[in-house]
Amino acid sequence: MNARIGLTLIALLLAAPACAQTRGLLKLPEMAALADKASESVTVTLDSNLLGLGCRFLNAEEPDEAAAKKVCQSLTGIYVRKFTFDTDYAYPKADIEGIRRQLAAPGWSRIVEARSKKESTDVDVYLLVDGGKARGLAVIASEPRELAIVNIVGNIDLEKLHDLEGQFGVPELQIESGKKAPKEASKPKAQ
Amino acid sequence: MNDFENRLRRALRPVEPADGFAERVMRALPAQHAPANVVPLVIVRQAAPVSAWRRFSAPAALAASLLVAVFAGQHVATLQAAREEQAGLAASRELMQALRVTSQKLDLAYEAVQRPAPAPAVEEENRS
Repeated sequence: MNARIGLTLIALLLAAPACAQTRGLLKLPEMAALADKASESVTVTLDSNLLGLGCRFLNAEEPDEAAAKKVCQSLTGIYVRKFTFDTDYAYPKADIEGIRRQLAAPGWSRIVEARSKKESTDVDVYLLVDGGKARGLAVIASEPRELAIVNIVGNIDLEKLHDLEGQFGVPELQIESGKKAPKEASKPKAQ
Repeated sequence: MNDFENRLRRALRPVEPADGFAERVMRALPAQHAPANVVPLVIVRQAAPVSAWRRFSAPAALAASLLVAVFAGQHVATLQAAREEQAGLAASRELMQALRVTSQKLDLAYEAVQRPAPAPAVEEENRS
């Protein structure tokens, strides 16, 4: 009996790092049909190995790449799906709803919910906070002719993400490291 | 059978030569006899001369194999490094693209958050 408990504990201990790595990882649908319909599609799937490799090959002398290098060192995955269409709303909402359901899991919190009726743009930014640290970031941005889903996994250093300001045009989200987003950014609704 | 053996033994028994036998033989020999013409028999076949090619072929083959192994190893390592560099550059391009998309969308969210909310329609009506 004791041996069984011991084995279970060992298995749990061994499984813990794997769980930590996959925490924050969303199961993004294939979206092959969507890619066929799209006039332009971007699919980025960088797991920890590829991310590490890509990070090594960033040119530290280029300011934007140097900033990216700082950010990617603590990440374990970046997954992007972006589709651009020639006509309005050519994409089904079911796939997005499936992702939203994953983001309803404990730990994830929506830090930005921006709805623009004028521009028919919806942007949701989710953050997975675990132990006071951001472990995952998800962005779902749907525009009439564009759908983008971003999932960043790993120890997201918000200060370093902050450093990307001006490099990629990353805006100041007023997120303090180890803290949740401020109230005005937690559930803003822009029309 | 025994009788046959006995007779054979008797016939082959050593017999002492008669007196003066040795002297008679010596007298019968010629005084000067030509030396025998001795022709040496080639018993051991002489080893064929070893050519330089045969002598150095084994070490040369070994050295050539070593060189081939070294160059092949270097070539494979170069190919592997080139492949890794290609994969790394592709990954870094994808990474930059991913970060650009992320920043664009965060920018979109930021703009939407920063945009001042339109004044309620009721107030507008009251003012007019």
